[in-house]
Amino acid sequence: MEELRLRKQKWTWPPRLPKWGFRERSNFKIGMLFLLPWTIGFLVFTLYPMLTSFYYSFTIYHARAPLEWIGWKNYIDLFHDKLFWQSLYNTLYMVVIGVPLTLLASFICAVLLNLKVKGQSIYRVIYFLPSIVPTVASAILWLWILNPQMGILNTLLGYVGIEGPNWMSNPAWSKPGLILLGMWGMGGTIVIYLSGLQDVPTSLLEAAELDGANWWQRLWYVTVPMVSPITLFNLITGVIAMFQYFAQAYVFRGTQDLGYPLNSTLFYSVYLYQNGFLWLKMGYASAMAWVLFIIILICTILLLKVSERFTYYAG
Amino acid sequence: MLGDTMNTNLPTPSRDSGSQQRSSKSRAFFQSLLSHAAINFVGLFFLLPFLWMVLTSFKSSQDIFHTPPRWLPYDNVRVDVNGEQLPVYKVKTDDGVKQLAAVKIVEGVGTFVDPARPTEMFEYEIQQGTDVIAEPVMHISFKWQNFPDAMDRGSRPGIGASFWVYFKNSLIIAFFAIVGTLVSNTPVAYAFARLKFPGRDLLFIIILATMMLPFQVTMIPIYLFFNDTLGWGDSFLPLIIPTFFANAYDVFLLRQFFRTIPEEMCDAARVDGASEWQIFTKIVIPLSTPVLATVTVFTFLWAWNDFTGPLLFLTSPRNFTMALGLQDFQSQRTMVWNQLMAASVVFTIPIIIAFFFAQKTFIQGIKLTGSKE
Repeated sequence: MEELRLRKQKWTWPPRLPKWGFRERSNFKIGMLFLLPWTIGFLVFTLYPMLTSFYYSFTIYHARAPLEWIGWKNYIDLFHDKLFWQSLYNTLYMVVIGVPLTLLASFICAVLLNLKVKGQSIYRVIYFLPSIVPTVASAILWLWILNPQMGILNTLLGYVGIEGPNWMSNPAWSKPGLILLGMWGMGGTIVIYLSGLQDVPTSLLEAAELDGANWWQRLWYVTVPMVSPITLFNLITGVIAMFQYFAQAYVFRGTQDLGYPLNSTLFYSVYLYQNGFLWLKMGYASAMAWVLFIIILICTILLLKVSERFTYYAG
Repeated sequence: MLGDTMNTNLPTPSRDSGSQQRSSKSRAFFQSLLSHAAINFVGLFFLLPFLWMVLTSFKSSQDIFHTPPRWLPYDNVRVDVNGEQLPVYKVKTDDGVKQLAAVKIVEGVGTFVDPARPTEMFEYEIQQGTDVIAEPVMHISFKWQNFPDAMDRGSRPGIGASFWVYFKNSLIIAFFAIVGTLVSNTPVAYAFARLKFPGRDLLFIIILATMMLPFQVTMIPIYLFFNDTLGWGDSFLPLIIPTFFANAYDVFLLRQFFRTIPEEMCDAARVDGASEWQIFTKIVIPLSTPVLATVTVFTFLWAWNDFTGPLLFLTSPRNFTMALGLQDFQSQRTMVWNQLMAASVVFTIPIIIAFFFAQKTFIQGIKLTGSKE
């Protein structure tokens, strides 16, 4: 019954408000009081800034000088801004290559941690700990690890006969370096995958085994589909976070200009920060923010649509 | 520890006949060997950087530039000459290799004395072509002094900024952020979990939708609002005040937990004439300590870790947080890797301690916000 009523409400316009009884009326008042912190916060820290930044995106605004309405010019300028495209390319590189690689790696790690080995819980702690190292500390640590001459990574690579690249001073290797840094701190994703693996029904795996499926086949045909909702969740949160990638890139340039080397680490949010807070082009930065928002929205919806075919929901 | 409930994906050997049992036994042994090898090899990727950070923090300034790098920290062997601690060098003299103490080294020419007869001075070039004449004598030694050095100097000595100050600032901000988050999110979550009123579900959808909104969209107006309108630039207020107005993640997390508290308890209290506020403070909150602990730990993590917020609002070094101070230190003195790592270790230690005290809380929080949609 209740479902029916909800449906009816959903599809009529203007929405027919239900008759409020005494209980609803008093609950509504009390409810609004309980919600007060969020309501104020939403108005002051979300809705008002959203509307304002949308307005700013059509203006030239230097914070202290009065703003000047210029219509769509910021958006048109963006289209012709080489650095904008460079920053978008850098960000898409991380989204398209970094996020899936990290997901794959964390799935493999979760499978490893789910194996029955001695000292399993110690391994789980070791895999997880780097993810709680503060971002700035881990970024500086990796700057040091990736140091071409004195860093430990190229030394270790040297032992197996590989000549390591110049990582952070080579535009081709700076982004892979950042992806490595991200993988070091993927413990949270591993934990989510691990809890998903533990939810895979043993009966399914046993049935597959009775049918003669080997370990790989059970992994590929049972476990991977069973955790696909988790993969989708990790993918979407990973993509949204990667579009806003900032702190690591800010630290990783060392003492050089933002985007070093050769703008290869000039990510979207870094360029936005540069425009808004270093060059005080706040109107332009606001336009960039809205473009980012639209891109994130489109990507999320696309992922949800496409995933319908690949995601398995039990029950 | 991290996983109490677990099942294994490894095949269990079938036990039919003797010969099959033996072969499957050896197969199981082989598989166990393989899984150990894999888990250890991948584990190195997580462990070694950690080790490298800690070991670097104990290295002497000379040792960090040693190529190829060594894992363990080395320092000069020193000898007391007339009350001064001088580094010992192996010097190729005309009559064989001698251990001499270096008084000073200027432009590749070192002045040495023999510790046994400190009156005579010798001058040698450190290097002749590719031939190294004088080589420092090193031994394994942990330089604890890096920690006080890093903490005292900070990035900008002489203006009252040091990592002690940054540490204190970070603690203050984290403390108020925790208070704000707990005070503001719990009533909101309670309303969504337990009060039935028209429009509630729509509001909840709006809350969830705000999770999608990138910070970049609201960043500039929020900055101008705090900085110009309220004049709170270069203070902790812009970092603390917003936490007193609830946020989507914590509301969601708390609501999920509140919904598991039996409704009958609340109803019984209602029948006895308790107000919603009384039910909230006297029944729901006392029953929610696990989730409140989770929120506390994650708010601490977030506040301790936050870089963008302090970067936007804090301008004078004496107000910097650990995150901002460490980044500043790095940009001022790129090459002092030992002190940078020492400061990083100090930055990380509170979180590691929190983790070992509240391991279950950490993992539970990730699972609650993560896997349960």
